[in-house]
Amino acid sequence: MRSAFLTYFRLIAADVRAQLGYPVSFLFETTGAGLILSMFFISLALVFQRFESIAGWTLGEVAFLYGLIEMAFGAMDMIFSGFDPQFFGGNVRRGGFDKLLLRPQGLTLQVLGSSFVIRRLGRIFQGIVIFVIALSMVELSWTPVKILYLPIVFISLICFFGGLFIMGSTITFWTVESIEAINILTYGGSEMMSYPMHIYQDWMRRFFTFIVPAIFLNYYPALYFLDKPALQDLPSIAPFLSPIAGFGILFLALRFWRFGIRHYQSTGT
Amino acid sequence: MRTLWEVAKLAIQRQLTYRAAALAGLVTNFFFGLLRAAILVALFGANREVAGLTIQGAITYTGLTQAVIGYMSFFGWYEVMDSVYSGEIASALLKPMSYFSFWLAQDLGRALVNFVLRGLSIMGLYALVFDITIPSQNSQWLAVLAAIILGWLVSFSWRFLVNLAAFWTPNARGVGRFAFGLSWVLSGFIMPLRLFPEWFVRLCNLTPFPSMINTVVEIYLGVLDSHAVMKALLIQSFWVILLVAAAHVVLQAGTRRLVIQGG
Repeated sequence: MRSAFLTYFRLIAADVRAQLGYPVSFLFETTGAGLILSMFFISLALVFQRFESIAGWTLGEVAFLYGLIEMAFGAMDMIFSGFDPQFFGGNVRRGGFDKLLLRPQGLTLQVLGSSFVIRRLGRIFQGIVIFVIALSMVELSWTPVKILYLPIVFISLICFFGGLFIMGSTITFWTVESIEAINILTYGGSEMMSYPMHIYQDWMRRFFTFIVPAIFLNYYPALYFLDKPALQDLPSIAPFLSPIAGFGILFLALRFWRFGIRHYQSTGT
Repeated sequence: MRTLWEVAKLAIQRQLTYRAAALAGLVTNFFFGLLRAAILVALFGANREVAGLTIQGAITYTGLTQAVIGYMSFFGWYEVMDSVYSGEIASALLKPMSYFSFWLAQDLGRALVNFVLRGLSIMGLYALVFDITIPSQNSQWLAVLAAIILGWLVSFSWRFLVNLAAFWTPNARGVGRFAFGLSWVLSGFIMPLRLFPEWFVRLCNLTPFPSMINTVVEIYLGVLDSHAVMKALLIQSFWVILLVAAAHVVLQAGTRRLVIQGG
């Protein structure tokens, strides 16, 4: 186990060194990615001047949710780079995955170690800035429980998005190409989760409650942190279910991943 | 001209083999359209009309912007770049046609297929789900068509120009990602330009980006009078001429630098 983690860190260190090989290009790409992504929030903020609220939420309150999701998705996108369905699908197609199968190390850690895109720091940093702006705009009444619970929500979000990445990658065992439908859950899901969920139509909200339990990771916790009233009656436990949803999805994804490995047939590349 | 049409036809055939990818793209674009419609509806709240944009217009806007993604390769297009790095550009430069026209013809084929499979179809889906704005006059449809063609030409020459960065740097993808990202905001893709503060709109209007999307959207929604429509089409034409000329100048400078390695 110890040696597995050692291998993992060595793999990542090698990948990071390679990316830092061209420091100027790295800096340009990281700040560029952060700047471009921040345009989405800046656009919302500029347009917001013409309106009072977004379905009862102020800009600061939306920024709280938005920043939280951006930080978590950015961190996941970096940590789970190896499971990025696009990247992983390419690896399966070119036979790179077969190479990993031959090595006497745990497969999951090897895949995690196969890529660590530090350019994603741009997105994480952008999320941090938005989150800090949110905290300055909203009068948040902090309690010890809130302070303790915030990091738990953050980690649960990373697990949740990571689980979606793993499922998307596992599907490529059968489809070879990364299927774009998974983008709806990952990129679409993260965009959707950046806004208060009561703005969506019922069928959409139900889908992201009962089929994909996203609402337990963003909206319900945010209601609790911001002391916002829920639109319908909620059990008082609802805001605190984020670890169950996050770790649950990751657990199911890993089960599916093992199932996929057992049925894996190489493309023969 | 004939050869160019043949190149375009080949590109159409090639694109048509990726029908599954087009369908997946359509579903994704549609989903994002629904999200963005929900956000705009929530912003509008009880307002029926803001800055000349009705709520119906705002919903239609989200459909239109999702419809252009496919045919304009709006999220990124790196094919010329890749052909510079792989060396394929050498054989393309030997062909008895201009390198710019060669790619223009290819992009025309790709754009036509995506316009039908991912553009018209998404508007069809929108018409099923929402009560969208549909132009009523033939003259307006004509103007929309002209704006779409001019907008595609602006988009293509911009994308081509960005790709030429590959002549100067071994890693032009970063430049490309940034240049394409810039067009997302300034073209009115993320939010309708009319909803932005005036100073921001003035800034956008100094760039070619509104000519790619905003012009098409505003003519389609009928928020411009006939005088403003003519002006918008003229501005689009101006950007087409300027960017095509720039692309030719930069291409010449680039090919002079180009060294193809044998092997």
